[in-house]
Amino acid sequence: MIGERALSGVGAGAIRIAEEVGGILVLTYQVLRALVPPRIDWRELVKNLYKMGNKSVPIVVLTAFFAGGLMTLQTGPFVKKLGATSLAGWGAGYAVLREIGPILIALMFSGRVGANNTAELATMTVTEQLDGLRALAIDPIRFLVVPRVIAMIVMLLALTVIGDMVALFGASVVGRAMLDIDWSTMYYSFSENLRPYDFLHGVYKSIAFGGAIAVSSCYFGVTVRGGAVGVGKAVNAAVVAAAVSIMLLDFFITYSTG
Amino acid sequence: MNPDSRIERLGAAAVEAARALAELWMVYVSTVSGIVRGFTRRRGGRGRPKGEILRQLYAIGNKSLIFIVVTLGFIGMVMTYEACLQLSRVTGDYSQIGSQYIRLIVTDFGPTLTALMLATRVGAGIAAEIGSMKVTEQIDALRMSGVLPIDYLIVPRFLASVVMTLMLSTLGGAVMYTAGGLTAQYSFGVNPNLFFDLSLLEFHHFGIMVVKAIAYGAAIPVVAGFCGLRARGSSEGVGWATTAAVIGSSFAVIMLDFIISATALFLWGGDL
Amino acid sequence: MSAYIEFKDVKKSFSGKPVLRGMSLAIDKGEVMFIIGTSGVGKSVTIKHLIGLLQIDEGEIWFDGTRVDTLPERSMAPLRKRIGMVFQSSTLFDSMTLAENVALPLRKHGGMRHHAAIEEAKQRLAQVYMAEYADRYPAELSDGMRKRAAIARTLALKPDVVLFDEPTTGLDPVSARRVDRLIRELAKTLGMTAVVVSHDPPSIFGIADRVAFIYKGIVHVVATPAELRASSDEVVQQFINGKSSGPMETPGF
Repeated sequence: MIGERALSGVGAGAIRIAEEVGGILVLTYQVLRALVPPRIDWRELVKNLYKMGNKSVPIVVLTAFFAGGLMTLQTGPFVKKLGATSLAGWGAGYAVLREIGPILIALMFSGRVGANNTAELATMTVTEQLDGLRALAIDPIRFLVVPRVIAMIVMLLALTVIGDMVALFGASVVGRAMLDIDWSTMYYSFSENLRPYDFLHGVYKSIAFGGAIAVSSCYFGVTVRGGAVGVGKAVNAAVVAAAVSIMLLDFFITYSTG
Repeated sequence: MNPDSRIERLGAAAVEAARALAELWMVYVSTVSGIVRGFTRRRGGRGRPKGEILRQLYAIGNKSLIFIVVTLGFIGMVMTYEACLQLSRVTGDYSQIGSQYIRLIVTDFGPTLTALMLATRVGAGIAAEIGSMKVTEQIDALRMSGVLPIDYLIVPRFLASVVMTLMLSTLGGAVMYTAGGLTAQYSFGVNPNLFFDLSLLEFHHFGIMVVKAIAYGAAIPVVAGFCGLRARGSSEGVGWATTAAVIGSSFAVIMLDFIISATALFLWGGDL
Repeated sequence: MSAYIEFKDVKKSFSGKPVLRGMSLAIDKGEVMFIIGTSGVGKSVTIKHLIGLLQIDEGEIWFDGTRVDTLPERSMAPLRKRIGMVFQSSTLFDSMTLAENVALPLRKHGGMRHHAAIEEAKQRLAQVYMAEYADRYPAELSDGMRKRAAIARTLALKPDVVLFDEPTTGLDPVSARRVDRLIRELAKTLGMTAVVVSHDPPSIFGIADRVAFIYKGIVHVVATPAELRASSDEVVQQFINGKSSGPMETPGF
């Protein structure tokens, strides 16, 4: 009897997830269609770029710094034991550029900007502002969603690049302070072992992550139901969906581009 | 903009941040004292409903299970893939990879990644729930009936979160390791017997894992509950609270990770 | 001659519960038509159907000789430029000033550039006596002021018809009468058709040309305010006199 209930619960959950995924795909299609031909509200785009960038730079920089430091803490002792300090930068840097950097920064971005965006759009939906736009014959997708999606992708890309740099810097600081590895050793090890392709790999990922975060964030914002409680649930769902998408996309990109 | 007003604003921001941190600390202290109160009182403390802890355990643990398994499974595969890829470029020697990997999982990635995922799922959930209660004045109603919101709302979630984070970290770590082993075998032909090598693990590694998991498990509900209780306005306030909770708890996890890792480095040096 | 706006036997249910059960109403060009009834009877639902924010289950809706209930979302744009709506919650965009709010439709559909649109917007705000607040944000203003600004925004594209969803609900009596007067003034000077959803007797008897009373999902009576007052129908009398007891069925109470 419990088994039955559990099974039907799983079934219902699966259907719900399928619905959400379907809805997100529909929204993606609508966004893409609105981009051809590209008639974008530039004021909205600029406004969002400014807002999102402003909000997220401090937290991303801080996170990146500590993440870089963490990598050195983890790989440094191992490398030192082998006496191969010239590889210290490789250990930390490789992980940072290809994985830790893009993923952590994307997660932070999703939490800061993605969640905020969902909350805004959800509040607007609940207070009938979205209907208000439709009544004025303005398409909410073109006017609200598309500028935000573009702004989020661009911003995450920029933040990942900046964050990568900061993380490498953080890795060096920790290397110097706690493991007595010279700046020059670190720098040498970075430039010797890290190829531009490693950097680009992370960049491709950040574009994909940005798209996933942007679309799911907007989707849960505009499909909100219920008042204040609904807004909280929408933000919750958006953040979780973004986290799962990031992990899944990371997997697929890593495997397909090697 | 004249420089004085900029300094003023910076100063005001610093004061505000300090005040917020102080309040956060108070929430933590109140939570712990609430727990102590619950133990020292004979009948389980007034205001905490029976079975609330169990309900929270279910809410946090059960519902996050699939989420954790899926996300940590994928990231486990990716990390192993990347590591093997690099090794294949440099030395081609895969003998160390399994043992090093499990060490990293136990001391860092297991608890930390699990906690980061939980910070989004659970942190947002707690803040959304408590935040909605705050803006619909249910928190005030609680106070009116003589119940401490901290006792009623945060303590059960605190206890449940600590237990669940520990359990999920263990599970997550196991999933990561298994997924990694499968990846190494199928993509690089690494023999599973070679990969699944627990020989490097020592007692203090598990100690670090437990400390981290407990620290994260404690931090997430405290930060999230704090943000929820501070919600103001209506739907906007709830949205803000949820956002702040996700960011705050994620960042807390990373900071705690850094602090504990650095401490471990000092205590055990290169033997880590 | 067929009416300007016409609802023919419209039916609509929500989650299995029927709200409109065959509502029919004809509205003439240039008149101020009030749609009244108790809460939840389907008044707002009725006007939302007109601009496609909701879809009817059965029946027909006609505007100016064209059938509009079957139009797909994509083709709604021209219709929505001719029929504007002022929502109950004003729905001004919080992130823009009043001037920017009113300028938005001008920029999007009037083909104006930002600065020209802002200037034009200020003039529209002057029409509703709100010019001095043009640079303020909606959150800083009172409900009555927000309502007037919302009206200015809806009027930006000079629509032929404006729908008002409970314009005076929640306003203090003085602001409410001001909004009434504004609606009447605009309708008569601009030759606009106004459809007003309301349950506010001073508004109803103050500015309506005709009144449609919705009860039990259909239009129970359509009459001028004077005829309504003189009506011998007990249900009508109970509503307009605001009595708590009487033959009226109010489900859920």
